[in-house]
Amino acid sequence: MELIKGLSFQEKLHILADAAKYDVACTSSGVDRRGKEGYLGNSKACGICHSFAADGRCISLLKVLMTNHCVYDCKYCLNRVSNDTVRTAFTPQELCELTIEFYKRNYIEGLFLSSGIQKNPTYTMEKMCEALELLRTVYRFNGYIHVKAVPGAPDELITRAGYLADRMSINMELPTAESMKKLAPNKSFSTILKPMRKVTNTIASHRLAQGKSAYLERSTSNQYLSGSIFSEEQRRIAGSSRTEEAQSNLLTISQREHQKLLNRPFASAGQSTQMIIGATPETDYHLIKTTQSLYQQFDLKRVFFSAYVPLNEDRDLPSLDTKPPLLREHRLYQADWLLRYYGFQADELLSEDKPNFNEQLDPKCDWALRHLERFPIEVNTAPYEDILRIPGVGPKSAARIIQSRRFGSLDFDHLKKMGVVLKRAHYFITCSGRMMYHTPIEEKYITRQLTSVEYRENWELQHQQGYRQMSLFSDFGIQA
Amino acid sequence: MYIYTCADDFESMMTCIYDVWADKRGSQNVRLELEPIGQQEMFSTYIQIQKDEEKAGKVTASIQKKISPEAYRQVFLAAMSDAKDRLDVIYRFLLLGFACGREVTKRLADGPVMRLFELSRRTGNDMHYYREFTRFVRIEPGIYVAHIEPSCNVAVLTAAHFADRMPSEYWMIVDDKRSLAVVHPKDEDYYVTPLSIKELQNLQTIEKQRDIYTDLWKEFFETIAIKERENPRCQRTHMPLHYRKHVTEFM
Repeated sequence: MELIKGLSFQEKLHILADAAKYDVACTSSGVDRRGKEGYLGNSKACGICHSFAADGRCISLLKVLMTNHCVYDCKYCLNRVSNDTVRTAFTPQELCELTIEFYKRNYIEGLFLSSGIQKNPTYTMEKMCEALELLRTVYRFNGYIHVKAVPGAPDELITRAGYLADRMSINMELPTAESMKKLAPNKSFSTILKPMRKVTNTIASHRLAQGKSAYLERSTSNQYLSGSIFSEEQRRIAGSSRTEEAQSNLLTISQREHQKLLNRPFASAGQSTQMIIGATPETDYHLIKTTQSLYQQFDLKRVFFSAYVPLNEDRDLPSLDTKPPLLREHRLYQADWLLRYYGFQADELLSEDKPNFNEQLDPKCDWALRHLERFPIEVNTAPYEDILRIPGVGPKSAARIIQSRRFGSLDFDHLKKMGVVLKRAHYFITCSGRMMYHTPIEEKYITRQLTSVEYRENWELQHQQGYRQMSLFSDFGIQA
Repeated sequence: MYIYTCADDFESMMTCIYDVWADKRGSQNVRLELEPIGQQEMFSTYIQIQKDEEKAGKVTASIQKKISPEAYRQVFLAAMSDAKDRLDVIYRFLLLGFACGREVTKRLADGPVMRLFELSRRTGNDMHYYREFTRFVRIEPGIYVAHIEPSCNVAVLTAAHFADRMPSEYWMIVDDKRSLAVVHPKDEDYYVTPLSIKELQNLQTIEKQRDIYTDLWKEFFETIAIKERENPRCQRTHMPLHYRKHVTEFM
């Protein structure tokens, strides 16, 4: 394990981007910040993607590691100490210049900084903070920064990072303590949850000091949904009481220190985490329950899922020829959206008896088919929360329906133009008492119809590597 | 049928709406079209309207005051779209708007309102795409130049975003399709200027310039994709091919 000195800058970037690519969180959302004269950059709450890589994932931030040097030996990770790879590191200056120049060309929204553990967590986090402080103060960068908090780093450093960045994340990677013990022997649940709790509380206390609510802003749809996981009642049931808790267990900073960091707010775009899917035997039910409790207990802004891509050979890991479970990851994200935007609860989607998502159908259709007694829904009179539960209707189109139907009754053509996906929705709705086609409200029939709509999409998700168009020139060696 | 025509810019459109309104010929007896006009209809009277800043100002002010700022936003976005019927749609939307006030933008069940909503959404989406996919090239001594060819007229709308983002840089966004440029001097307001053919050609050669950061960006772009998850179809959905024409990593 050597820090190779003779690498060109381009090779360095290659190594440190390659090592960071398995981290999934690449969003630049959650905070609106105007630009300032003399500074570079602003931030949009909706987030802006700048490009899409060949795998279809968005590129929003310059996602790199500070160093791929690592003393830990997490079995699933490319950078584990027992792997024999070329090790290198960015200097803070290199990283700043790269970020600034990329930003000015509109390649990126900002920086996503993670790191392998060089020497120990403290040293690593210090290096990261040094780079971020340089970027914010000397390079006067006002764009988006997402920083990983290194589990085990001292509070002062996590605090500093939080004041410099817009979003912080601490990766859980594995949803249970057993799996973590098996696959990430140097980490433990408590080194992850403790700092996570402190970051949550500090964000809340900052929000209260600014006169906002202790909880992060959520999709406006949640205001109108009594059963939403973010509603006051559901939060109380889940046992979260941010307001009192926020007074204690905080990350604190002296006024002088804070001034040095330009008096920035603490991680104003919130906190996120990610979990690996498919390396350990947890069920979807388990994952989505964990997700829900992370949203409720820790007020995380996002929970990300990462389909496990086998990189290392190990008896505790799936074999190297395992395909990444992309469809499963897709279903989990769909369910995550249902929790955050549609007022669903984890227990409505799955249960102990049915612990995994249906591969053929998305979770919302699947739920609707199990609750056909609620359908068809009359679009012109049904309440908002019912409309939001129709497959093919999203928060935007639901809001449009509610607003416009006061002024005249809606028909299918209107719905289509508002953005409703009728190929899914039409089995479940009536407009002024009529269905779009003459269809029976019958579980088997609709399931058959909907699975054929989804069949192609699903097949392609599952067989991404398996097929391609044959070519006369490359497959049969014919010269053009 | 009386057919009012005017040039394809926002002020002319607003002037045209003012004159149609003032002439009181009845909405079912008029149609509004943008120049150039193709085949003329035999039994219609064509009336050409010239831009008048005062009249246009009156219309824009009363849209904001008597209807709502939101309605004005949608009208402006729709006017910047590329749909042929946009002027007529705006006119019919405003007829309804002046009759029923701020609620008009919610009346999606009404034809003109829905159509206006569709057009403004189209421009809005295009605007967002160009926030994402506009790429600047650096020319010495530190001017950043971008080329775009948007189907809706979003150069100015996009520039507002970049003016907030890079207030202390020299930059310009060139709309190759409409031969106009938005120029932003350091720490000053930006302005729009039409380009001659020669100027445009000169600017187009800049786009081919490469420096260390374009190479680094391409390296990063190639590296960040996970091979096991390759999915060109998904990539195409998020980043349709026609937006890629001036995007560094695809050139």
